[in-house]
Amino acid sequence: MTNAVAGLGLAPHAAMVTFPIDMFLPGSDISPVQTRKQEFYDGLTRWRPAVGGDGAGKAPMIRVEGTSGEDTFARANHLMLANRWGDGLPLWPPTPARVDWILGGAAHPRGRKLGTFPPRGGVTTVESCAIALAMAGGRPEYLPVLVAAVEAFLDPVSGSETLQAASGSAFPVVIVNGPIGAWIRLNAGFGCLGPDPQRPAGAGIGRALRLLQQNLGGARPGTGTMANYGGLRYTNVVFAEDETNLPPGWASHGTERHGFAPGTSSISLAFANGATNIRRRGAKKETPEEDALQGMHRMADFMRVPNMAGLAGYEHGTPGILMIPGVVAQTMAGLGWTKASMREFLWEQSRIPAEQLRRAGGSAWIEIDTSKVARDSLALDPWPITARPDNFVIVVAGGGHPTNSYWLQGYSPGVVGRPIELPPALGRLLADAERDLGPP
Amino acid sequence: MPTLEFHDPSGSIEVTQPHAPRVAALGGARVGFVSNEQWQAYRMLPLLKALLETDFPGIEVLPIDAFPQGNAVIGSEETAALVEASGVDAVVIGNAA
Repeated sequence: MTNAVAGLGLAPHAAMVTFPIDMFLPGSDISPVQTRKQEFYDGLTRWRPAVGGDGAGKAPMIRVEGTSGEDTFARANHLMLANRWGDGLPLWPPTPARVDWILGGAAHPRGRKLGTFPPRGGVTTVESCAIALAMAGGRPEYLPVLVAAVEAFLDPVSGSETLQAASGSAFPVVIVNGPIGAWIRLNAGFGCLGPDPQRPAGAGIGRALRLLQQNLGGARPGTGTMANYGGLRYTNVVFAEDETNLPPGWASHGTERHGFAPGTSSISLAFANGATNIRRRGAKKETPEEDALQGMHRMADFMRVPNMAGLAGYEHGTPGILMIPGVVAQTMAGLGWTKASMREFLWEQSRIPAEQLRRAGGSAWIEIDTSKVARDSLALDPWPITARPDNFVIVVAGGGHPTNSYWLQGYSPGVVGRPIELPPALGRLLADAERDLGPP
Repeated sequence: MPTLEFHDPSGSIEVTQPHAPRVAALGGARVGFVSNEQWQAYRMLPLLKALLETDFPGIEVLPIDAFPQGNAVIGSEETAALVEASGVDAVVIGNAA
């Protein structure tokens, strides 16, 4: 709650009366409201903010001493964990030298303000991103992607202000289009969701974004974020679309969803709160047509569940991101399928009979939704899980193997795109990466 | 002795507006409720309303539904304008969980 208060531009902390979660459950004993009524009265009359209203200055530098280089590194890591700046895995201390190295990948001055990170309202700059990327073990050529992703994250359309604090365990998914993906070794193929020692960019960028969510945004488990289970991973999800294997005539996600010109380096950010593999390939002697159709049904059947995650983005967001390997996309295209026709199929086949929706209590959630479009959809039977087919995101990505597809369950009020601004030194940075990491 | 100096990654925050002033006393005050209708607010806020009315003679506590209710609307500028226009001295907002 202090995060939310600070995020409104108020001094952190507010006049609050807090109770154990039991008080907020159906049928609870609410007598503590009476026994602690004086706290309410004091909040209305006597309470004063503990922090002044003149703003907070720039955070000071941290200094750690140790008996050896290794001991100092360990002490720095312990300090970062003690201050709740870490994620539990080893961190690179963001020394000025390391942060300056990362800033070699900046397309803008280090002090450029990108916004304030919700809900806490931490001032977010290019330098903030570089600090997080340094801690995450990233490299300077990743910075343009991280900055674009942060800009998208901070866009109110993304829903981040709510999702950062909410219990639904949402995590950001960043889809990268354009040549920068291959340039910075962002995986689009086998193991594209990581880990991948040869193409580690997604891990570094995603981990840095997670650290920003926590350190600037205040999303610490159980206090800043009430995510019941956390975000599934330490690195969020950052991958590139496999554009080299897009079938002829199939537009990239960045072009299709956001209207970026083909070949534009860009990111697209949505939130998800579930991830699962869906077996796509048939098991026996299916014809190509049967194999494709059965796979489509298995995917749609999996989506046809009244758990209401997609309601968050019913009108403008997405019910989820479907990843299909390039080899599957090419086979499907050969049979006449397009991304658009796949979306139409999924939209139609994932509709939920009204009776199933009602028995699961889904109707009540729809009735209280903020979107009139969503509320009005309750009249439809079977109920479509999203307002229109175009809301489904279909991305060609994953290893060149036909057996599986992957579904990132959407929990995303919007899908936000941003072009990636490239730094002047990118060519040198890529040469440095080849020197450091070996040939791609 | 080896040392490491590094940035504090928590950055800074900006305080751009003050909290609302508190009321001097609740007796004779006009108090409103803004409810999101979640987390037993429909039970707890009426109880608190009754307690205020019992403990502070002359207090005027508006009905719980005097302002729009529900998560979908309580954060809107329209609701804020209605609260301001009502002339209340103080507002209780609930419930978060």
